[in-house]
Amino acid sequence: MIGAIVHKELTEIRRDGRALGLLLIVALLLLLGLVTGLATENAREREVLQARADDAAVFAEQGEKNPHSAAHFSRMAHKPVVPLASFDPGVSSYLGQVIWLEAHYRNPAMYRAAEDAPELSRLENFSIAGVLTLVLPLLVLLLGYGSIASERERGTLRQLVGGGASPMGLLLGKFLVVAGVAFAVLAATLGLATGFSLATLPGTGYSGGDLLLRSFSLLAVYGLYIVCLTAVTLLVSTLVAEAKTALLLLLGFWVVTVVGLPRLSASIAEQVYPSPDSGAFWSDARASLEANRPPGGSEDYVAVEREVIERALGGEVREDELDGLALNRGAVRLEVSEVLGAEAYNAAFAELFENYDKQKNLRQWLSLLSPTIALQHLSRTYSGTDVAAHEHFSLEAEHQRNNIVRAMNEDMMLNGAGQSFGYLAPPEFWETVPEFDYRPPPVAATWSEGARDLLILLLWGLAALGACAVGIRYRRAPG
Amino acid sequence: MTELLRARDLTKTFRSNTALNALNLSVNAKEIVCLLGANGAGKTTTINLFLGFLEPTSGTAMVDGIVVTDDPKTVRGKLGYVPEQVSLYPSLSGLENLDYFVRLGGRGRGDEKYLRGLLDQVGLSQLDADQRVRAYSKGMRQKVGLAIALAKGARALLLDEPLSGLDPSAANEFCRLLRRLADDGAAVLMATHDLFRAREIADRIGIMKSGILVEELSPESLDQTALEQIYLQHMHDDERLSVEAH
Repeated sequence: MIGAIVHKELTEIRRDGRALGLLLIVALLLLLGLVTGLATENAREREVLQARADDAAVFAEQGEKNPHSAAHFSRMAHKPVVPLASFDPGVSSYLGQVIWLEAHYRNPAMYRAAEDAPELSRLENFSIAGVLTLVLPLLVLLLGYGSIASERERGTLRQLVGGGASPMGLLLGKFLVVAGVAFAVLAATLGLATGFSLATLPGTGYSGGDLLLRSFSLLAVYGLYIVCLTAVTLLVSTLVAEAKTALLLLLGFWVVTVVGLPRLSASIAEQVYPSPDSGAFWSDARASLEANRPPGGSEDYVAVEREVIERALGGEVREDELDGLALNRGAVRLEVSEVLGAEAYNAAFAELFENYDKQKNLRQWLSLLSPTIALQHLSRTYSGTDVAAHEHFSLEAEHQRNNIVRAMNEDMMLNGAGQSFGYLAPPEFWETVPEFDYRPPPVAATWSEGARDLLILLLWGLAALGACAVGIRYRRAPG
Repeated sequence: MTELLRARDLTKTFRSNTALNALNLSVNAKEIVCLLGANGAGKTTTINLFLGFLEPTSGTAMVDGIVVTDDPKTVRGKLGYVPEQVSLYPSLSGLENLDYFVRLGGRGRGDEKYLRGLLDQVGLSQLDADQRVRAYSKGMRQKVGLAIALAKGARALLLDEPLSGLDPSAANEFCRLLRRLADDGAAVLMATHDLFRAREIADRIGIMKSGILVEELSPESLDQTALEQIYLQHMHDDERLSVEAH
C-alpha cells in the first residue's frame, strides 16, 4: 500500500509542471547559495594563505631588534577557512578572522566580513543553510498542504477509505513522499557542498573524515527538521476541510516560525543579555586589571616574579638568590605584567563568551516555539561556524600570544642583562618562535555543544508526529 | 437468500435534525434495491452508515452479518462503493487510477490484463483506459468507479446517485451492468432520483421521505405511471395536508 502511494504521488509530481517548476526554483536558489559560499570561502582561503606567508616573512626578516619591540609588533593569528562555512557561514562574518597577538593586550578578532563588506553580509542569507532554512519549509508545505485536504475536497479520500484503505497508511505514504523529496534535495545539496569543499578547500586544518562526519551530522539534523515540518504540514492538511485553508495556515506557520521567531529570538536575547560595546568592554577589562594588579614588591607580586624567573631559567630559584641573578630586570617586569594582564583579559573574555552562552540558552528556550532556531544552532555547530568554534580559536590564539610574548621577554631577560631596552636579539632568533598551527576541534567534541538543541528538535519531531497520528484518528469521517 | 445488507431500527440524528428514523431494510444477494426520495430524504445517510463514515445514533447497520461499528475496516473490505461524483486523480490514466484504488484497497498489485478486462467489462475502451482522466466525461468516470468497486470482488455494492449526469445511453449501459452483477450474486443498494431506471432494474424500491422509509414496493406489480403517482403522492403529502388544513 505504501509503495503504491509513493509511486502514485511521484508520478503526479512528475506530471505536474508546477511541482517540477517549484523544484527547479529551489535547485537554482541552492546552486546560487553553493556558488556564492564556495566563491567566498575560496577567496578567503587564498587571502589567509597569502597573509599568513607575508606575516611569517615580515616577522622572520626583522633583523636585529629589541625582543619586546618585536613582541609589540608580534604576529597575526589567522583563523583558517572552515570548509563547511561554504554551507553555513554562521557567525564567522560577525566575529572576525584575524587576531593580533600583541604584547600586553588580548585583542579581539579583526576583519569582520560583515563590517568590511556590507554587500557581502547581505548576500550571507544566500548561503546554502540560509536558503535551506527558508526554502525547505516552503518546499515541504507546498508539496504537502493538499496531501489530505485535497483528497478530502476532491472526494478521493472518501472513496479510498470506503474502499478499505487505511487512513493511517495513507498518511504514512504521503509523509514518505513529501519528506523524501525534501530529503533528496537536502542530501544532493549537502553532498555537492561537501564534495566541492573537500576538492577546493584543502588547507583548512580539517580532516576529510571529520568533514564527512560533520556532513552526516548536518544531514541528520536537517533531516529531523524535515520530519518536523512534514508532520506539521500533514497535521494541518488532515484537520482542515479545504486545501486553500491548509495553505494559508501553513504559510502563517512559516512566516512566524521560520521568518519571524528566529530573528525575534536573537533580538530578545540581545535585549536580555546585551553584548558589551567595544569601549565598555575595554574600560571594564582595564579597570579590572588595575584593581587586581598587586603593588610592586607585595607578596603576590614577588610570587609571580619568582614564577616568571623560574620558568625562564627552567628550575627552582631560592628567594635569597633572586636579587643576585644576572637578568634584564626590565624584561622581568614586562613578563610579570604580561602574566597579570593575561589573567585579567582571560577573565574579561570568559565573561564575554559566557554572555554569548546566556544569549544562546535563551534562544534555546524560544526554540520550543520554533524548530528553526534549534536547527540554526545545530547547523552552525556542526559546520564549525558557531560562537563556540570562534571561542576555541580565540583561546588557542591567546596561548600562542602568551608563548610568543614569553619567548621575547625571556630572550631579553636572559641575554640582555644590564642592557635594559638597548638589548637587540640577533636576526636568527625570530625563526625560533613557533608558528601558530591551529587545529579546530573535531566534530565529536561539538556533539555535546549541540545536545540541547538536538533534544529540542527531537521533541518537536515527536510532538508533530504524535499530533499527526492523533489528528488522522480524530478526523475519522473522510468527508 | 443470503442477507448481505441489513438495517435494524437504524437512526441518525444531527443535533435536532433526524436524518434517518428507525430504518429497517435488508438487501439480499442477487437483489437490487433502489432508494427513491428527494434531497435530504436520508438516502446518502443510509449509505454513509453502511460504510461506517457515520456512527448511528441508535440501531445497527450490518454487512454480511457484521455490525459496521464493530469492525468498519472488515466491512469496507466487503463493500463496493460508487459515489455520485466518482473522484479520480486527473493526471493519472483510468487504468492507473484503477490500479491505485485496487492496491490501496489491500488487494495487492492488480494484474494489468485483469484490470483492463474490468475496464472493458464496464465499457471503457482500451484507448480511453490509457488516457489521463482529466479528459474524461462523467460517464467515463462512473465506469472507472464501478470498475474499482468490481475489482474488489465486493459482495455488496452501495451506489449513491450513480446515474446522475449520465446521458441516457451511458445510464442504460450502467444499469445493464448492475443487473448482470446482481445476477452473478451481488447485493446492490442504489440511491437515486431516477424513477424510470429504478423501476427498470430494481427488485424492490423503497421510497424515503424525511428520514423515514415510507413505502417498499415491488416494481413488477407496477407500471411507470403507477410508480410515479405513488412517489409524487408521498412527496406532496405535506403540501396536501397543508392545503386541507386551510
